[in-house]
Amino acid sequence: MIAEKKYLKPSTIAEAIKFANDFIDDFCFVAGGTDVLVNKFQGNKDISCLIDISNIPELKKVSVLKDKLNIGALTTLESLKQHDIIEERFPALLIAAQEVASPMLRKTATIGGNVLCENRCSFYNQSEWWREAIGYCLKCEGDICIATGGKKACFSKFVSDTAPVLISLGAKIELMDINGCKTVDLESIYTGDGIKPRNVPETAILKNIILPLDIHFKVIFKKLRPRQAVDFTSLTTAVSLSSNGNLRLVVGGCDPKPVVIDGSIDGNLEEYIKKALAKSRVVDNDYYSRKYRRDMMKLFLEESVNELLK
Amino acid sequence: MCDYHLYVLIMTPIIVVCDFYHSKDRLIFFSCTIFFVLMKQATFYVNGKKHSIMVGNHEMLSDVIRNKIGLTGTKEGCSQGSCGACTVFVNNEAVLSCITPALRYDGATITTIEGIANAEGLHRLQEKFVEKGAIQCGFCTPGMLMTALDFLNHNPNPTIDEIKMALSGNLCRCTGYKKIIEAVAEYVKEKQFNSYGIPATIIQLHEVKQRSVGIGRPYIEATKKAQGLADYADDYQIKDALHVKFLRSIYPHAKIDKIETEDALGLFGVRYIATGSEIPVTFGVLPISQDETAMAIDKTRYIGEIVAAVAADTEEIAEEACKLIKVKYSRIKEYLTIDDSINDIGANEKIHEYGKFNNNIHKKAELRFGNQDEGLKEAEVVSKMSFGFEGINHGFTEPHAATAFWDENGLTIITATQVTHYLQRALAKTMQVPLSRVRVIKPYVGGGFGGKGDPFPHEIIIAHIARKVRKPVRVCLTREEVFITNHGRHPSRMTISLGADKKGFLKVLDADIAIDGGAYGSFGVVTSYYNGVLLQAPYKLDNFGFKTIRVYTNKPQCGAMRGHGAVNSRFAVESLIDDIAAKINMDPIELRMKNFLDSNTLTVGHYRITSNGSRESIQKVAEQSDWINKHGQLEYGHGLGVGCGFFISGSALPIIWNELPQSTVHLKVDFDGRVLVTSGANDIGQGSDTMLAIIVAEVLGINMDKIFVLAADTLLTPVDLGSYSSRVTFMAGNAAKNASENLKTEIANAISLKTSIPADELIFSDDRIYSNDKSVDLAWLEAIDIVTANRGAVSVSGKYISPKLGGDFKGAGAGLSPSYSFGACVAEVKVDIKTGHVKIVNVWGAHDCGKALNPLAVEGQLEGSWHMGMGQAMSEEMKYYNGLLVNNNFLDYKIPTSLDTPNIHSNIIETIDPEGPFGAKECGEGALHPVLPAIANAIYDAVGIRITKLPIKSEDVLELIKQKEAIKH
Repeated sequence: MIAEKKYLKPSTIAEAIKFANDFIDDFCFVAGGTDVLVNKFQGNKDISCLIDISNIPELKKVSVLKDKLNIGALTTLESLKQHDIIEERFPALLIAAQEVASPMLRKTATIGGNVLCENRCSFYNQSEWWREAIGYCLKCEGDICIATGGKKACFSKFVSDTAPVLISLGAKIELMDINGCKTVDLESIYTGDGIKPRNVPETAILKNIILPLDIHFKVIFKKLRPRQAVDFTSLTTAVSLSSNGNLRLVVGGCDPKPVVIDGSIDGNLEEYIKKALAKSRVVDNDYYSRKYRRDMMKLFLEESVNELLK
Repeated sequence: MCDYHLYVLIMTPIIVVCDFYHSKDRLIFFSCTIFFVLMKQATFYVNGKKHSIMVGNHEMLSDVIRNKIGLTGTKEGCSQGSCGACTVFVNNEAVLSCITPALRYDGATITTIEGIANAEGLHRLQEKFVEKGAIQCGFCTPGMLMTALDFLNHNPNPTIDEIKMALSGNLCRCTGYKKIIEAVAEYVKEKQFNSYGIPATIIQLHEVKQRSVGIGRPYIEATKKAQGLADYADDYQIKDALHVKFLRSIYPHAKIDKIETEDALGLFGVRYIATGSEIPVTFGVLPISQDETAMAIDKTRYIGEIVAAVAADTEEIAEEACKLIKVKYSRIKEYLTIDDSINDIGANEKIHEYGKFNNNIHKKAELRFGNQDEGLKEAEVVSKMSFGFEGINHGFTEPHAATAFWDENGLTIITATQVTHYLQRALAKTMQVPLSRVRVIKPYVGGGFGGKGDPFPHEIIIAHIARKVRKPVRVCLTREEVFITNHGRHPSRMTISLGADKKGFLKVLDADIAIDGGAYGSFGVVTSYYNGVLLQAPYKLDNFGFKTIRVYTNKPQCGAMRGHGAVNSRFAVESLIDDIAAKINMDPIELRMKNFLDSNTLTVGHYRITSNGSRESIQKVAEQSDWINKHGQLEYGHGLGVGCGFFISGSALPIIWNELPQSTVHLKVDFDGRVLVTSGANDIGQGSDTMLAIIVAEVLGINMDKIFVLAADTLLTPVDLGSYSSRVTFMAGNAAKNASENLKTEIANAISLKTSIPADELIFSDDRIYSNDKSVDLAWLEAIDIVTANRGAVSVSGKYISPKLGGDFKGAGAGLSPSYSFGACVAEVKVDIKTGHVKIVNVWGAHDCGKALNPLAVEGQLEGSWHMGMGQAMSEEMKYYNGLLVNNNFLDYKIPTSLDTPNIHSNIIETIDPEGPFGAKECGEGALHPVLPAIANAIYDAVGIRITKLPIKSEDVLELIKQKEAIKH
């Protein structure tokens, strides 16, 4: 029997959360849908109820509140550049956003969707039939990780390009669910478990991404991918230097979660890079080999640090 | 017709639709359909028209637009937002409709490609696409136009780089993007001029001045394609058709013990389930490789082979039913690599039973001329290297699709094919009906490149089911299925020795090649030979030999792909030549110039070389790239490389031996003056319909608008062997020329009879027929009145038969062609020595096509070839994991985007072939060969490393640079 399929279009956050709780365990929020819907077609997510939040005006605002910039989660990657304050204060975010997918996808894909983008793996982002043929990996209820040849942990890649930049800028996010609103560090929502890569409550809505305006940053962003458009990242690095001398190295695409190393301008820079490499669990689930991605991580981080110190 | 539907809500997830019909004043309850999926009424204002329709809750906008509203100009190429073909406007902003839920935009204003032109004509950007030759197969065109229009709305004055960026999510496999970018840029420029009050130049599309041949013009169907009005296979909506979905094997090599279909048959809406034993007759494109059945019968030979087919009322039901079929397999040992298959397999089971040896070798091809051992001794410098190449997929943007039905005329199938003729034969064979009961119709085809050049299981299966259920049956493969169906370029490895003397004269070439054929034969026997024989030119070689082994493996089969058989071995040889040049310290262009074969000569393997533009081609690219001042002289990391190539201009021998001409073309002229050209040639986007029209117009001296081309319908058109081996311009073109000359004679004779002016003194030009003294001076229609008087419509036939060619030895027929094309490329690269990343900055290409009948189309073919070659060189590969294709979609299979494509500088070299129509020969495949080695040789020039593995991955380049530096220190 084919399950009942539902499509709901809430017009407020409260309504979206209510719908989510009504269909708990069998729903999915859809913002741009560029990631969620493709996964759904492939049977990665067998979900009957789509809650389309793309029409909630409260989620589309970009505003300055005292010393904070609030970017509504539904702001599309393309439209970020329309906001002068982002261009002025966080140009690396615009660069990162422009490096995501292709222009047409960026018109629909949202920044909220990008930071909550599902982890990817060559052995997971496949059709139902394909995954049956390969013998189902851990991330789809199998017993082992196929990419690593049998490990008991999932190493699906964290692939957001904007999140590493946002984390390097000390971004917080505002989450709303039935219990109200809470603000957490963006970095803190990523679990490092490839199977369940985020610890955001299923029924919660990401409302805002909050960036500090009282601190100034210089950020170097780099991305490795085979083609200059369309491709998900093979390696993303964002290295920031803040006006108070803090250095932050963030690596995406090389671990189930963004790898974050904090340090200071006066610290042992080599040591930071070593730490980042040590913390990244890179496996062969990408166009490029594990070794190459590690080599490039080192290079990108070194170059970024050098550029910042120039 | 149904009078009305009654929707009965029984329980939440199910709607029962009862259809009632009137009959003799009685209301008859007729049918009852259960919808499992809840639907909602939604309203869309599409191109100004209101549509209130039932939409599935999880239905995508592309599906609603194409299948419910019927606007099939919006294409679906990937169903995951990676190709851009489905782009439409919603409330004046572009969206990818294949990943947009339709209900998101209930009440919205939607514009599709069909809504872009208005009563006054095409949008100026559509005209620009047409004029600039930006449209080949046309499948990406609607999406490309919509994306460009949206972008220009936001940025009316973009730079070229901004245009490239804007189009980078729209995949085109035909054009190499060059003409598309030019079209957009020119549109922008024109708009800017217009804003200063300068009127735009309007180009008449059908304007012909004196001649037809040699004038660049858009395809005759280009405006239709620009408007989304050209129907491709999946755009045909044959009423009451069932939909087919396939259950595919999940094991590479396994016995099928049992197939249980009961549960699936019980699903409401399932009409038929077919399994392999129902269609036991084998088929294959080559008579010697009839090794495939439409579905696996006793065992499966690759992951993805079709095991069962479900026909149902909807695609969704068919798909659901497939999941309910239970197949019991017993796995047997699989063979996934060349090494697995070359070795003796002991007591295990072979992939195919036939063959003398206890291994999985499919074909051994070996030819030797002169003495390679002697040659190696004579050579003062020898370069020997081993190379490895991954498999490549054609990557055409239109997925395979077809509809089949049976009626009083037997079977009709509308299908995306390059070879209507061979498909007709395969269907007659497998359906066990006379050839006269099979009609194959080729609609517009969204690219082929060899990938639609075999008869396919899905075509045979739907024909079979349509006969069983007595209803039309349709199928459209998913992109994943297209990749699994494959028939692409063989993964291969080879070791080649090339020797020369110190003056740079080549003395010997010896090649040892192994190619991985996958599970079935396809074109593989030909591929085996082509890998070797197509190395005997463009250089003079007396001591030449090769051995190729093609093996079966338990993977999707490989076959013919653009540049068939010789792309990889050409890469190897051109790399070796570059290496020898470096060893003897000679300019690689000079070395090549010394060794080129002349025109009008024979190769060592008895190929008859007639026209030969090798020298002109290489000189052209050398001059344009400033080779003399740049090669070997640029800074470290920056280099120039050269490569050459040649290719057959149509195989001189037919695949199935018979005495039919290779091409026959019919012409009919009736009282209205229109000339109907009928030809079996398959236009798959390369422009062969236009080519035929140009030739007919040229011979008869009439305007193109008097010519109508009807092609590739096996009921209505005479036999042409199909679009493969780059044969159509040469062979169908010659047949069209012959037919036109015959028609010209008929007309001239009729006028001569009436006027007493000798027929050979009549001139056909500018829509008139006249004598030099103007004593006869007739308008075309007046002449037609004369020739049709008391006779009616005049029909003539023309043909092309290849001359007898080749030597008298086994294997002499491989690669024989009445003519060969030649070409050269220079590539300029920049290598980032820290990352190994290679950026191609420029490609200068030149190709000897004999005579460019339509220079615009020739450039398009060349640019597309170079682009495809760059894809194979830089990023494309078919990656397998235990026999399962990993990168089976347009996101993971890396076809270069507009941003990855360098500046391409195109040069047409004309040598006027003595036997080609007006001197023309092929331009659609041979151009691909030189570009891959040119890139690799440029990397050598830049950083001194030899590339022996494709694709050229940054990590391999980096590793080689490190190794080289380690040796230096």
